[in-house]
Amino acid sequence: MNRWIRYLICGVLGVLIGAGGAAWSIRIGALGSAQKIGAWTTGKDYGTAEASAYTRAVVALRGLLALPASEARYYNAAVDSAGRPLEGRCRYEVVGSGLPTKWWSLTLYDPQGYLVANQPGIYSVGSAGLPSAEQAHWSVMIAPDQQPDHWLPTGKVPRFELTLRAYLPDDGGKGNFTRDQLPTITREDCA
Amino acid sequence: MIRHWIGPVILGGGLGILAWHKTMVATPDVLMGVAVQRVSEVGGVNQFTHAPLATAASRTIVRPSPDLAYSSCPFDLTGGPLLIDAVPVPSPYWSLSVFDAHTNVALVRNGEKADYQPFKLAIVAPGQTAPTGYEAVQVDGTRGIALVRILIDLPARFPAIDRERRATTCRAA
Repeated sequence: MNRWIRYLICGVLGVLIGAGGAAWSIRIGALGSAQKIGAWTTGKDYGTAEASAYTRAVVALRGLLALPASEARYYNAAVDSAGRPLEGRCRYEVVGSGLPTKWWSLTLYDPQGYLVANQPGIYSVGSAGLPSAEQAHWSVMIAPDQQPDHWLPTGKVPRFELTLRAYLPDDGGKGNFTRDQLPTITREDCA
Repeated sequence: MIRHWIGPVILGGGLGILAWHKTMVATPDVLMGVAVQRVSEVGGVNQFTHAPLATAASRTIVRPSPDLAYSSCPFDLTGGPLLIDAVPVPSPYWSLSVFDAHTNVALVRNGEKADYQPFKLAIVAPGQTAPTGYEAVQVDGTRGIALVRILIDLPARFPAIDRERRATTCRAA
């Protein structure tokens, strides 16, 4: 075989494998994969020049226009507190305490990062909508069918993810919430 | 026989590493370009588009917050700076952020930092200057998005906030 053909074959294969591997890595990357705390993953350098090329690429794909940590913290969960994938046919109880932040919200997305269609049009639960008596200790049911109290519908999608947004954190975004501060996600049952 | 492939394999490995790095670096720029294009198609360039609250039908931006009213101004600085006259809305949370072509935040200012008072910004590319009375915010590149986020704590408040947020404007200088 001609030596130049050998160089051409290896060169083309190298480019394809390198570019394809990077694209695959970005595609399977989780938002905030820098640190795992219980069921939640997070990162602190969104939107900054300090972010690694990989972080920037994943954030661009999964959470474009995310704010820096001083303004908002983003925690993402694709599994429950036992490490099992979140499934739309199951019922989960999410229990949390008062987070050290000005306000927070919990939103349900499909794995592509879009809101999930559901009949009542409920997409999130947040501190702004909770009565003052529940601010320090709150509970939300995530389920395909209507629940008696705070309910976040799954829309019966096969898999879903949760994003916890914490705006204006008390520490200016310098540290992560602890495992005890972050909500627990407990699977109750499945249809 | 094997020695004939040593050089080509080394070349392939080097090009693979280079392709990996280039893909990583280029991805945010490409996705930001797509976002600027999508938002521009809705309301044009260098002017704010005031989007309704996000629903399951929203596909312009990934992971939108349904609790926030978004107003976005996709900008193109090739003709000169972008002037923003910001008027914070008295909501529990209001912010204006400016993202450059590489997805970096050039500025974020919330209502509390601004004392809920109007302020003026000029988004400038390298080599451009801000007009008198405008605070210069330099971005890398010529394209990006200025984004206003307003917390809608009660859905019933949205119509009033929707009217008030239109006092914030952006325009080419």
